[in-house]
Amino acid sequence: MNSALKKRIGNVLSWVMTFLLMLVICVPGLWVVLTAFRPNSEVLAKPAVWIPQNFNLNNFAKIFGFGAEQVAIPVPAYFTNSLIIALTSTAIALLIGMSGGYAFARYRFRFKNGLFLGLMLSRTVPGIALSLPVFMIWSRIGLIDAKLGLIIVYVALNVPFTVWLIDGFFRQIPKEMSEAAQVDGCTRWEAFWKIEFPLAKSGIASAGIFAFLTSWNEYALASQLTRSTDSKTLPVGLMDFTAQFTIDWAGMSAMAVIIIIPALVLTFLVQKHLIAGLTFGGVKG
Amino acid sequence: MAEIALHNVVKNYGKLEVVHGINLNIEHNEFVVLVGPSGCGKSTTLRMIAGLEEISDGTISIGSEIVNELPPRKRNISMVFQNYALYPHMSVRDNLGFGLKIAKQAPDVIEERVREAADVLGLGDLMDRTPAELSGGQRQRVAMGRAIVRNPQAFLFDEPLSNLDAKLRVQMRTEIKKLHQKVKTTVVYVTHDQVEAMTLADRIVVMKDGYIEQVGSPMEVFNHPVNTFVASFIGSPPMNLIPGAIDGDNIRFSDGAHISVPTRLKDKVRNGQEIIFGFRPDDLTPVGHGINESGQQAPMKLVITLAELLGTETILYTQIAGQEILGKMFDPRDIHPGEELNMNLSLDKAHLFDGATGKSVRLD
Amino acid sequence: MSNIAKGVPFWRKEQFTPFILLSPAILTLMFVVLLPLLFSLYTSFTGYRLIRPESLYDWVGFRNYERIFSNKNFWIAFGRTILFLTIALNVEFILGLGIALLINRITWGQRTLRTFMMFPMMFSPILVGYQFKFIFNDNIGILNNALQALGLSDGAIPWLVDKYLAMFSILFAEIWMSTSVFAILLLAGLFAMPRDPLEAAKVDGCNAWQVFRHITLPFIMPFAFIAMTIRSLDVARAYDIVDVMTGGGPAGRTELLWTLIARVGYDNSRMGQANAMAYVSILLSILFTYYFFTKLLAARKYMGGAE
Ligand SMILES: Nc1ncnc2c1ncn2[C@@H]1O[C@H](COP(=O)(O)OP(=O)(O)O)[C@@H](O)[C@H]1O
Ligand SMILES: [Mg+2]
Repeated sequence: MNSALKKRIGNVLSWVMTFLLMLVICVPGLWVVLTAFRPNSEVLAKPAVWIPQNFNLNNFAKIFGFGAEQVAIPVPAYFTNSLIIALTSTAIALLIGMSGGYAFARYRFRFKNGLFLGLMLSRTVPGIALSLPVFMIWSRIGLIDAKLGLIIVYVALNVPFTVWLIDGFFRQIPKEMSEAAQVDGCTRWEAFWKIEFPLAKSGIASAGIFAFLTSWNEYALASQLTRSTDSKTLPVGLMDFTAQFTIDWAGMSAMAVIIIIPALVLTFLVQKHLIAGLTFGGVKG
Repeated sequence: MAEIALHNVVKNYGKLEVVHGINLNIEHNEFVVLVGPSGCGKSTTLRMIAGLEEISDGTISIGSEIVNELPPRKRNISMVFQNYALYPHMSVRDNLGFGLKIAKQAPDVIEERVREAADVLGLGDLMDRTPAELSGGQRQRVAMGRAIVRNPQAFLFDEPLSNLDAKLRVQMRTEIKKLHQKVKTTVVYVTHDQVEAMTLADRIVVMKDGYIEQVGSPMEVFNHPVNTFVASFIGSPPMNLIPGAIDGDNIRFSDGAHISVPTRLKDKVRNGQEIIFGFRPDDLTPVGHGINESGQQAPMKLVITLAELLGTETILYTQIAGQEILGKMFDPRDIHPGEELNMNLSLDKAHLFDGATGKSVRLD
Repeated sequence: MSNIAKGVPFWRKEQFTPFILLSPAILTLMFVVLLPLLFSLYTSFTGYRLIRPESLYDWVGFRNYERIFSNKNFWIAFGRTILFLTIALNVEFILGLGIALLINRITWGQRTLRTFMMFPMMFSPILVGYQFKFIFNDNIGILNNALQALGLSDGAIPWLVDKYLAMFSILFAEIWMSTSVFAILLLAGLFAMPRDPLEAAKVDGCNAWQVFRHITLPFIMPFAFIAMTIRSLDVARAYDIVDVMTGGGPAGRTELLWTLIARVGYDNSRMGQANAMAYVSILLSILFTYYFFTKLLAARKYMGGAE
């Protein structure tokens, strides 16, 4: 077999593999998306209906409480809760992460490595294990079933990773930049906002997106710390469907789509920086 | 525009002391170069003057004011960094104008001053580029432009040329010198390159391990080094140093060979004293190929092991007292390795250092 | 000399700045993680039950630990969790490596592929669980429907009910979600790889496999350990998947340590005992992270270059 032919076969093979790979990655999600636009009757039909016959937005209208059919699940409230909780906790985690990441990137100090390790280890605690004591304490101080309760937890959940990423991004900016600005007449604070922050901005944004998604997607803690429409988030709300006698697959899929969309959009925006941040922080230390 | 004075300045990082109480007075409009091997505390000293490092002990004053507690922005100085530290997200124009903008100058004043600085440094065509679009030399120029725009009391340079290639380095060296003549200001310039120090400085400060070894004009430091460190650090190729002992009117080396004690230093040494004998390669020349052939000479026959042609002169490698020694031949002819030459060692400019302390005996 | 300290309050001094900058992070984690963990450590030595608040002061010593260590169900869940993690991480690594090598070969559309690779990573685990619950549903799931349509199976395969199939389905979901962490980091490693050693090895007469084995693999191992470290931070996300897909059932056949904790703590309201288990799970996570982190450090050292 000559080598040109071998190469051709190799290329074809790798395209086939890639195609299969994409199939495995995309089909499950696409199937859910498709289901979101189909009526339950079609989803449950036996034998299966492969080509969608009815394609409409009824499921979305239903879960948002418009239209003739309605579900008992208050999706709009969950959506608002999710948005408020994820946005607020992200904003706070970013501020804390910027301040901490800057400290790690720019200063030498005692216990530096120990503190960093401690920060990371705090992230290893499994959500469900952490939920037990937090549940006990929050119920004593009235933070159960409150957005604030979840926001505080999510800030803590996001701080270690945010610090790690932002530390990496600040390290990439030579510290002479800030020093030059200080010699040029800035206070350290001004130098930070005028020079270092603009340069690290896109990295910080991607850390923010990552934090947002962590909060948006979190389930283990939210499922224990929330009770009602006051604080329940979308992932917890999704489980409401399974509590019903017959599962409303179409409605559930519509809700799933609402949870997926921000993840897809934000992943698309963040992918480049996230990889850079992770590998930089990890390999260059 | 201002004198700078360091008084017993100390710097420690935690328990580690890296600058040990140095004293230095830099005069108005003087160009002072701090030179020394890497890690000797030059940058640290400069950064203390700039206010980028806290001063652990002692005082630094700029003008008549003690600046120990002033942050960099209040010291009215400007600094050029080794890697230039241009702001990558700003155009050249904005880089130059940044300091003025921070100082809340009127836009037309900024415009005017930025243009002046750009003219001085020939940056006119580059104003709208970002630092990433500039070559090394151009970045260097912008960094200097940023320094002169604000009309500071003093310029501080930290190895500004070390990131440039050899040719550009020589060119920029000249430009810095010219710039200083144009924009009369006090300059403190840090480098590990003694050639840069010699060519630029009004006064050289030689540092080692956090101490100042010698302060003086380039000629002073070159001709009258206070110790073996300065002697070997300044000058290229470096001074030849041979250990020996005083034996009457002679210096005797380990292999028994001897040479007369330079007359002018005779009463500075005592019999039996361990010394280090030093002379520059320029002072060891083949007969008829030297510059300074009058005065006290020590003639000798030497075998050349290697000759390095440099064009106007040739560096000769030979051996004295079992040690490799460098000489020079001006107005050179071809030399073959193994050739034996009659050479003269001019003793008028030779140095004697104490064997134990390394200090020049001239100072006793 | 004291004139330096004069007039500068202690918190403005340079050496305090990093601690001030870090204090929000430290305080948050103390309040939300450290303090609760201390509390739960205490609780694990009491017979605390949610329905009887006074039992919080009911000190029982090591009884909770003795109980769980002598409980067969705990050990089964524990063993299953270890097995689950071992299989998942190994498969994820091997698949991730394969995918990274595959995508690295491809020149056209590489960026798009890479972006697609990241999607599963960003999915909520609860969604991944739901998605596969739907697909593996024995009655209306697309998988059974497809198998039946293709004539490969005539009955409904009980993907989420059968002991082994259910575990397989959960593993599949987990691997689907997390393989991209490996793929993406290993791909970054391949991109960062210098060409010279590869060419030197080829000149030295290595064949493709030897080049891979002796040059490529050692170089990208640190990236694999970064991926492992990141993964060990969130392995417990598998809780969400199991909770949605099977709820630990049927009859505890897919129970992992984490779902067991939730059941004992919230459903049976035995907080003391649940906290004791939680501590075991925390130690397990820390051990995992620590193990991979030291591997990462070691691999970095012999890779050289990176400080
Ligand atoms: N932040 C620091 N912490 C501890 N030691 C330092 C720090 N910065 C510099 N040093 C040490 O101080 C000494 C002087 O450094 P520096 O002034 O940078 O030397 P150079 O003369 O090469 O510019 C070196 O030995 C260096 O290791
Ligand atoms: Mg230096």
